[in-house]
Amino acid sequence: MRKQYYSKLLVIIGLILLSIYQIYPLKDKIKLGLDLQGGMHVVLEVEETGVEEKNLSDMTERALEIIRNRIDALGVTEPVIQKEGTNKIIVDLPGVGDPDKAIELIGQTALLEFKLVSDDSELLQKALAGEVPEGYQLLYNKEKDDRGILRDTQPLLVKSEPELTGRYIEDAYVGYDNSGFPDVTLKLNKEGAKIFEQVTAQNVNKRLAIVLDGVVKSAPVIRERIGGGSAQITGRFSIEEARNLAIVLRAGALPAKVNIVYKEVVGPTLGKSNITQGFKASIYGGIAVVLFIVIYYGAFGLLADFAAALNILILIAVMVTIKGVLTLPGIAGIALTCGMAVDANVLIFERMREEIRAGKSPKASIDSAYHRAWTAIIDSNITTLITGVILFLLGEGAVKGFGLTLSIGIVANLFTAVFVTKTIVDWVMLTRKIEKLRV
Amino acid sequence: MNIIKNTNFDFIGKRKIAYVFSLVVIVVGIISFGIRGKANFGVDFVGGDMLNIEFTEGVDASEIRAIIKDLNIGYYSVQVLGVENKEFIIKSGPETQDKIINAFSDKYGSDRFTVKAKSMVSPSMSASLRKKALLAFITGMIGILLYLTIRFEFRFAVGATVAIFHDILFVVSILVLTKQQIDASVIAALLTVAGYSVNDTVVIYDRIRENIRKHRGDDYSVIFNKSVNETLSRTLLTGLTTIFVVICLFLFGGEALHVFSFCLLIGFVIGTYSSIFVAISLLIDWHRIQPHKFNV
Repeated sequence: MRKQYYSKLLVIIGLILLSIYQIYPLKDKIKLGLDLQGGMHVVLEVEETGVEEKNLSDMTERALEIIRNRIDALGVTEPVIQKEGTNKIIVDLPGVGDPDKAIELIGQTALLEFKLVSDDSELLQKALAGEVPEGYQLLYNKEKDDRGILRDTQPLLVKSEPELTGRYIEDAYVGYDNSGFPDVTLKLNKEGAKIFEQVTAQNVNKRLAIVLDGVVKSAPVIRERIGGGSAQITGRFSIEEARNLAIVLRAGALPAKVNIVYKEVVGPTLGKSNITQGFKASIYGGIAVVLFIVIYYGAFGLLADFAAALNILILIAVMVTIKGVLTLPGIAGIALTCGMAVDANVLIFERMREEIRAGKSPKASIDSAYHRAWTAIIDSNITTLITGVILFLLGEGAVKGFGLTLSIGIVANLFTAVFVTKTIVDWVMLTRKIEKLRV
Repeated sequence: MNIIKNTNFDFIGKRKIAYVFSLVVIVVGIISFGIRGKANFGVDFVGGDMLNIEFTEGVDASEIRAIIKDLNIGYYSVQVLGVENKEFIIKSGPETQDKIINAFSDKYGSDRFTVKAKSMVSPSMSASLRKKALLAFITGMIGILLYLTIRFEFRFAVGATVAIFHDILFVVSILVLTKQQIDASVIAALLTVAGYSVNDTVVIYDRIRENIRKHRGDDYSVIFNKSVNETLSRTLLTGLTTIFVVICLFLFGGEALHVFSFCLLIGFVIGTYSSIFVAISLLIDWHRIQPHKFNV
């Protein structure tokens, strides 16, 4: 018998330690929503008119690539840019000081250009020193550093006048070259094919930079004169790189308009006051509950409080693990979960009192209370869980955040309020001789 | 400590009074809702601009209204936050926000106020948000109905669902009567109220299930009353603790949680009330009209 309790206690202690390890230090680990740290949330919609239904999703992906390109240029830490549905793009920029500039940037139409690269290293050195020759400009390849901020790498001196622009592109897609490496095939329209043939014929062995909104995406070498309007871009691309390059090329041919349909800007001061007020409120609420339950149920109340605290610990640890975003309604969801955690224990303790009144022994009262309260706990928690999960799945923004913490909290609750408290109660009953139960 | 011991109140007998009370509030609420129209909703659900602005010194709200009125931008509303008359929430039609900010700059100087938050929702987006909120709600209802039909029986599931509808209508009525707006956070609150309401109902149902099995042949209203009384101490205790939390959110949670916690406060009280006076009372009256043997 004892051995069984030891292993249960070990599971509980292990879980507590694991949770603490996961969330420490909390400040760096937990991701805060825009409402708590300030920033900007924008939803963009690709205009559906004139776009075939089946192309809409691809169109959105291309638009997303353009926007990502521009946002990266802003140097925002941890921007979130993602596709939603077939034609929406969500952009979350935490802590952006100048939202208007960012919005202006996002709204522009994409500019894709092909520019010849000068191979004169002397000219490049001069340009780097500040003397850019007439008719040329200095552009950079950009790469993300480990914080996700774009840094200039590899400078390129290119002709200011583009040889070709995105409007001549018909399509671009990923394929494989003879040695099995991914490559990108570029298809040009009739007019583009003619220009391209001319440019390639005159500049064999020179590099042609692919520039999106002023950022060099790739600068392949022209191997030969290319006729027929179809070109292969090879290199030791990974699939991902090839795919991104194809998207960049197609982005240049983006005929759709992108509109801002939702915009939310929270100033950093409001974010800070939201977080302090939300936490303050939750802590006051928590203290009120803890005291009330201890006064009402004595030692058992303390146990219920412990279960509720453990519930919050596990909830936050899970949030950190799945990289969930904590929003203000999310904090409210946590507070509510605590209420549910207390409710489960109230159900058990009230049952215990009934059983004691009915004259049962302490051990029998406890077992019977847990057993009989279980159906009420499971049914009530699952009905609430159903709402929580649906809120998370179908809701947006704040509603989603609330559904997330509520759902995690309820699952944690079934574990802490029943398994954890029962194990501890059984343990106490086993190690001490208790003649009379006081609930 | 023990507040309640062995009570034997006749809740079921008092249900007619409760019916009248609920009906009056909800009917008045629905009528006011109809009269108020579009103003019931926040920018999330009808589209438009929302501006949260704070001045360095107190400003007269009527002055703010006059400035916006002079812009001739159509619909707008100005809400004062706090007691110092420094902070305002201004709602207006789509793409009118910049005009308002410019007008304030001209009048007061741009260093005299800070824009704490602003948002813009296009009509197409608000329509999709509306649809999503409704979809979430209906799906949730169906989920609850199915689960309770499986765990109890169809009539019980209907009772609980009607109680949820009652609670949501009740809270919305109070919101309308207190001139609050329905936005995304209110939807989150209403769904929480639904969850709480059904949670409370299920706990009493659970006891009814047990008592029906134990006392076969007894009159249902006796069994139901007994079940409510037996769970009364739990009902009050849980109700009080959750309401403690919500009161704290309401008092200290700041503006962002104000309407949210207000909904929860009303909703939790009504959710507790509706378990007895809607969910269970309905089962009794349904049984009177159409006798039925509960098979749980």
